Amino acid sequence: MSSEALSGLRVVELAEVWAGPFGCSLLGDLGAEVVKLESYPRTSTTRPLTVPDARVADGPGPVYERANTHHHGNRNKRNIAVDVRRPEGAEVLRRLVRWGDVLVESFSAGTIARLGFGWEAVHRLNPRLTMISLAGWGQEGPYQGYVMYGAGFEAMSGLASVRGYPGAPVEELIPTLHSDSTVPLALIFAVVTAAIRREQGGEGSYIDLAQVEELATQIPGVLGEWTLNGRVPPRRGNDDPHLVPHGCYRSGTEDGWVAIAAENDAQWGGLARAMGHAEWAADGHPWATLPGRLREREAVDRAVGEFARTGAPYEIADRVQAAGAIGAPANPPEGPLYSPQLHERGWFQSVDHPYVPSRLLGGFLWRLSPDEPSWDRRCGLLGEHNREVLREVGYDEGEIDALFEADVLGDRYPDPPGSGAG
Amino acid sequence: MGQPLAGMRVVELGGTVAAAAATKRFSDFGGSVITAEPPGGGEVRRVPPFPEDRPHIDRGAFHLAFNTGKRSLVLDHRTPSGREVVGRLAEACELLILDLPPAEARAILALVDPEGGPCTVVITPHGMDGPYQDRRENDLSLFSWSTRAHRHSIQGREPLRYAPFLGMAQVGSTAAAVGIAALWGRRQDGRRRDAEISAVEAITGNVDTSFFLWAVNGAVQPRAAGQSRAMYPAGAWPCRDGHVLFAAGREPFFSRVCAAIGRPEIARDPRFADLSRKPEHFKDFAPVLREWLASPTKYEVFEHMQRYQAMTVPLLDASEVTADPQMVARGSYVEVEQPGVGAVTIAGAPFHLNGVGGEAWRARASPTLGEHGPEILGELGYSADEQIALFRAGVTG
Repeated sequence: MSSEALSGLRVVELAEVWAGPFGCSLLGDLGAEVVKLESYPRTSTTRPLTVPDARVADGPGPVYERANTHHHGNRNKRNIAVDVRRPEGAEVLRRLVRWGDVLVESFSAGTIARLGFGWEAVHRLNPRLTMISLAGWGQEGPYQGYVMYGAGFEAMSGLASVRGYPGAPVEELIPTLHSDSTVPLALIFAVVTAAIRREQGGEGSYIDLAQVEELATQIPGVLGEWTLNGRVPPRRGNDDPHLVPHGCYRSGTEDGWVAIAAENDAQWGGLARAMGHAEWAADGHPWATLPGRLREREAVDRAVGEFARTGAPYEIADRVQAAGAIGAPANPPEGPLYSPQLHERGWFQSVDHPYVPSRLLGGFLWRLSPDEPSWDRRCGLLGEHNREVLREVGYDEGEIDALFEADVLGDRYPDPPGSGAG
Repeated sequence: MGQPLAGMRVVELGGTVAAAAATKRFSDFGGSVITAEPPGGGEVRRVPPFPEDRPHIDRGAFHLAFNTGKRSLVLDHRTPSGREVVGRLAEACELLILDLPPAEARAILALVDPEGGPCTVVITPHGMDGPYQDRRENDLSLFSWSTRAHRHSIQGREPLRYAPFLGMAQVGSTAAAVGIAALWGRRQDGRRRDAEISAVEAITGNVDTSFFLWAVNGAVQPRAAGQSRAMYPAGAWPCRDGHVLFAAGREPFFSRVCAAIGRPEIARDPRFADLSRKPEHFKDFAPVLREWLASPTKYEVFEHMQRYQAMTVPLLDASEVTADPQMVARGSYVEVEQPGVGAVTIAGAPFHLNGVGGEAWRARASPTLGEHGPEILGELGYSADEQIALFRAGVTG
């Protein structure tokens, strides 16, 4: 049975990469009724137009319908494609604002107001609607209108300053997108908090979620090094100053890695047994104690490293875990597919799509009973639900035809110049 | 109108970073949160850093940031007497969040009235069933499972976690999200809900893993060091006083960078405009940008590039973030007066409801271990003699 936790909550999404769309899919997983309003005729940045492109799956149909993250990150919502910069398109959005409970937008600060849908305007249209804006630096403040993706918010939160290989040049810093993972979770909390507020006062709220601020809440240790001790924390990689061993070790397979850690003496005892050297944890041995292992960090690491070379990542992790210590394969992209646990729990999802081959995709972030989340809707094709949604907000077939005719509504992007596509 | 979650009662059991991060969301928006902590204090109080590097159960940075506004009760939930107390706590709350080994969690869930009891969220490393249910994991191993460590590596070198406990904090955010949704659903339709979070699934299923990218089409992303040499400029580049980070390899951002450095013609040059040729001409482009970056500071680069709407930011470390003009203007960091420690700076609201700095969000001091034991036990109906009996036997502390 599909989730009904948020059933009845109508969400209108105006968002592209990735916190907004994924957050709205999570709302959909929880039972909310989400309509994604996709950019038209300007193409969405998450939909590549030409191949070869590493983001695109092989298959028939338009290239822009086969993009990996777009497909995976837009489940459980309907799709309409509207040119909201035209007056007739703006009217479609106005009707959706009246229809909805929540409007999610992730333009840079100020853009939505220039489109005529700033908070005051939408609040007048529908006082019960909650609007959430996800601009990286928020709505208020001197950086209004500045542009960036998640990697930049990480750079400005301090997180990027501690990531990476110890001692490596800063130029080797690998951009990551942690805010795209955590902002969707904060978005759910914010939307439901506003729904609770609406029960109290009858009106919707305006939520200003600055991605850089949300990220800052995730790293108290980084800030604390400075504010409590006046130290700038260094890049430590996987090293932990207080735990040995604690790292990713090269396994016996090519470019295979396994994480191994012992957080206390009991775990170390297990790990020592797994390594075939129970005596390393016996009273009197220099490695038997936490301070002893810290003192001989390099030697311990070397011993664990030699052990890790005796098998494949999953095998080593199994042996370490069986002995009661922490061990995990440092999975490459396909690694999760080899987990008996994920299969046993039925975690993977498979979904039919007209243009993307059916493969095992990632499952849900939680189980919820009695209403389990389910992948009820695959990622919508461009404009797939134009007619259905517009009818729901009061358009008749003739009016919808006219909007198609005027190119305000669309369901295919024009072929890019020189693509040779028919 | 006060705080939006005022009157909402939440109980947390486990004392972990993930559980503490989860319930902090509720307490800072006005919920009444009780953290029932293991004797001696749990993980969130024991992880560093500590002021002056002196470990102290009430002074760790994670505790000071993640336990704000909660009330603390020390409770050994593994004894029959402890379970009785948990039962009363459960009766008196709407949401129970547990981060315990599965067997212990099951014993607690058995206390919850299936009709009238609270909604529950259980956090475990691998879930409550299946062959790995009793495995222990930590922040590093969860990142390893999820493929994110692998994505965060250079070909042939070891996969890396990001920052300590970042994965656990994310699991906590996940628990908060599904917890408040479950609670909302119950308020609407009257049905009690139980959520279960496998930390591995919660992180692997999120949008930022390489599994996520690979699963749809089998394409493996290259794991090259930092600066992109194909879709540039992207990654960290040095300037006069540090580094800036670009995410401007694709149009329209590449053209904007070229315009910003006074070389708009570069964007039209087929060596760079043709994406199939662009990688082989990194060596031609890099010196031009490096030379331009040599004289301005990172904030000067930032301001200049943003005038052209080119995606560029300064790379800041922990000593710089609280002074960033935007963060100052918005009050993104706040000071909380912590008894025994003094004024402590922590991150402020994760989002603002109806105006920056409004009354919806407020961080109050984090409790000392067991600070509210007598108060909470009294509210649960325990007499003075019963409280002494629990204390004397080590069930409470």
